Amino acid sequence: MVNFKYCYLGLCLIFGIFGVVTSAESGSKRDKPTVAVANYPLKYFTERIVGNHVEVIFPIPSDIDPAFWIPEPNGVLAFQSADVILLNGATYSKWLDKVTLLRRKMVNTSEGFQEQYIQIQEFTTHRHGPQGKHAHAGLAFTTWIDFQQAIQQAEAIRNAVTKLLPEQEKHFGTNFLALKTDLLNLDRRIEEIVNRRRARPLLASHPVYNYFARRYGLNIRSVLWEPEIVPNARQWAELENIIKEHPAKWMIWEGDPHPDSIARLESLGIGSVVFDPAGNVPDNGDFLSVMHQNVQNLKSAYR
Amino acid sequence: MSRAVSTPLVVGVKGSALDLVMSTLYFDDAVPELMTMAETDRIEDSGLALPIPVYARFQARGFPIVGTTLDYFAFRGLEIADGRQLAIIGETVLGAKAAEALGLGPGDFLVSSPETPFDLAGVYPLKMNVVGILAESHTSDDLAVFVDLKTAWIIEGLGHGHQDLIKNKDASLVLERNEKNVTANAKLRLYTEISEINLDAFHFHGDRSQYRLTALITVPHDSKSGTLLRGRYVSPAAATQIVQPVEVIDGLLQNIFRIKNVIDAIIMVVGIATILAILLVFALSLRLRQREIQTIFKLGCSRLTIVRLMAAEILIILVFSSVLCVGMMTVVDHFKNDLVRIAFIR
Amino acid sequence: MISISSLEFQHGTGEFHLRVPEFTVAEYEKVAVIGPSGSGKTTLLNLIAGILTPKTGTVSVNHTQVSSLPDAERRDFRIANIGFVFQDFELLDYLNVLDNILHPYRITRALLLNKEVRDRARALAENMDIADKLQRYPDGLSHGEKQRAAICRALLPQPKLILADEATGNLDPDNKQVILDLLFDSVRNHDATLLAVTHDHELLKHFDRVIDFQHFRNGASV
Repeated sequence: MVNFKYCYLGLCLIFGIFGVVTSAESGSKRDKPTVAVANYPLKYFTERIVGNHVEVIFPIPSDIDPAFWIPEPNGVLAFQSADVILLNGATYSKWLDKVTLLRRKMVNTSEGFQEQYIQIQEFTTHRHGPQGKHAHAGLAFTTWIDFQQAIQQAEAIRNAVTKLLPEQEKHFGTNFLALKTDLLNLDRRIEEIVNRRRARPLLASHPVYNYFARRYGLNIRSVLWEPEIVPNARQWAELENIIKEHPAKWMIWEGDPHPDSIARLESLGIGSVVFDPAGNVPDNGDFLSVMHQNVQNLKSAYR
Repeated sequence: MSRAVSTPLVVGVKGSALDLVMSTLYFDDAVPELMTMAETDRIEDSGLALPIPVYARFQARGFPIVGTTLDYFAFRGLEIADGRQLAIIGETVLGAKAAEALGLGPGDFLVSSPETPFDLAGVYPLKMNVVGILAESHTSDDLAVFVDLKTAWIIEGLGHGHQDLIKNKDASLVLERNEKNVTANAKLRLYTEISEINLDAFHFHGDRSQYRLTALITVPHDSKSGTLLRGRYVSPAAATQIVQPVEVIDGLLQNIFRIKNVIDAIIMVVGIATILAILLVFALSLRLRQREIQTIFKLGCSRLTIVRLMAAEILIILVFSSVLCVGMMTVVDHFKNDLVRIAFIR
Repeated sequence: MISISSLEFQHGTGEFHLRVPEFTVAEYEKVAVIGPSGSGKTTLLNLIAGILTPKTGTVSVNHTQVSSLPDAERRDFRIANIGFVFQDFELLDYLNVLDNILHPYRITRALLLNKEVRDRARALAENMDIADKLQRYPDGLSHGEKQRAAICRALLPQPKLILADEATGNLDPDNKQVILDLLFDSVRNHDATLLAVTHDHELLKHFDRVIDFQHFRNGASV
């Protein structure tokens, strides 16, 4: 009690007023900095840019759509352990509201074009896959299949990792340019394919092609079908209504559709092509090979 | 005091700086006026400091629920001793003493207390899952119930799930069951619970920047940033204030020291009186024993020996009282922090 | 045994004045000193014991000139040669009878406490008929028993001179006689000399000689 004031003065001297403070910034002490990503395209872009200088983790299981992940503790702890958390933005990761993560570690890779986010008007909830019910309302979030946007996202990743490892700035820059070239190449190929046939009506099995359609000026109408599930009578009737005013000859699918769906569509004179947004890790190949395959598939729809 | 020293700046709504600091640093139950999350963005955007939100408004079984972010744990150097860190909303990590007092460990649950006992219109308490226990830090963090900021907002009623009414098979909920009716007792929906079933449906309403906080612990990146940041709060029109806990607590301690000085003066007077009384007792006792002294002198004891005898007696008394004193001082010293906390800080 | 000549004593304040031109007590003699209160009887005993020193003149005890010895030697001489018996017994309340008897041995280096001394203390107590009271404290003793204990204490160092200051003053008549007899027996047994101050004229017949202190005030020699 008697020495209270002296103790305090001593502490002041020892700690200083701001001395202690920087310790709060400490992240994980590992050999390599760690970056956690919220979907596969970000994982691919990041890995391309950082090489082996940064550890890239993607804590969401490969069998679910990362946009509708129901967070579980281990996955969240993995995100917590990262120095930087790369997010897709456009309300892609709805689970962010339900977990304990540091906002200051998060980087919204689509922030650069947030003024151009697309607001979806339809307000339907539906159920598919193991993740339960979900709704496509609010902002469209499949931003990266507009490859110009993908380049901007990759650029945001480059900036984030450069901040993390400034000494690798040049290396990251070179890698980014190579990635940018690949993405521009995809962009140019699609442009070539759709050129002069942009107005051709097209169907999408799922409303995930908004940015794609906007970028390449395509005329796409969406239904809410799942590749692995054969649509019911009501859904077919709905489709038949749509094609009356939107006479599409092709439907784009997120994944390989059920053979019965293909057959029934063909009976209506509609062909099926797959354009996989590759939100999660593909079974074969990587982002680039999947996208090249997508572009290849798209050719038949615009012949 | 060391907590005030290690907390550089606190931002909160203008008002009692002491309430703000006590609530932010020691989770005092006098909750100051609340601020909004917008301030967090303002500080973050300034690039001058790291804002750590603290929302210490609710309680669970007598312990303060502290809604914050992971930065808080890193800033305070709090380590998980058992279990794991917060991951999902609805989870809680307990301070060591709170866990001990409540007898809870990872896997148990803790229900938040209603803000007032008659809060009929308020939201249901939240059943929180205990996922971790912090290592003891010998600060007020030991007595806190930590949750994610979002969990604190759920307790406030800002976030909820649409499947609040979980199909409950708990037989204790049923008051009366006949062929036509099942009557539920008051236990049904006594609290909200965030489970795997309704987690997906949990969501927040309203503008996040208007969500409320007790205060922001603000950690400037360097002392210059701290000064710049403080400069931004000098305007009398500003709704918020920025305070240095050291200054606030120092002001409080100044008062305590003032009281202490008075007490010291009283102790000094009492001390002098005690010494005089002791001298009087010795003098009287010597006078009473004058004959005895005379006797042993006549029996052949030298005056020096008599002086020695008397000195030895006094010495024995002094040694015994000193031992007693040191013993009592040691006890007081050992518990001085608790005593000070009980007396002045709680 | 005791020889005083041309002694003059003055208390510090100068108020009290004692003059003893000539005073002698022979060996083995039992002498009583009487006189009114304040006549200087106790002062005389203190001068003989060397507790007080005279302004002028000499005091010799057993051929040693006490008055000219340095303090420490005078004290040692007193311890070895003079036993004191007081009117109020002057026992220490917090010591039992045995410890009171042995007390002089504990407070001076001039006396050595050993088994022989302890045995002698017990024998003395036996003689004084207080052997069964040795473990008692003064509070639990009668006046007679207290004075016996005090006499034991005075005799234990085997002094050649015993100074008794109103030794029977606080005792009832029966006890007076008993204590005086015990004192006389002890003096005889120890081949000691007794100089007793008393007020009690009934007891004077037992002494070899009686000195009236009135004389000294008038400057007479004895």
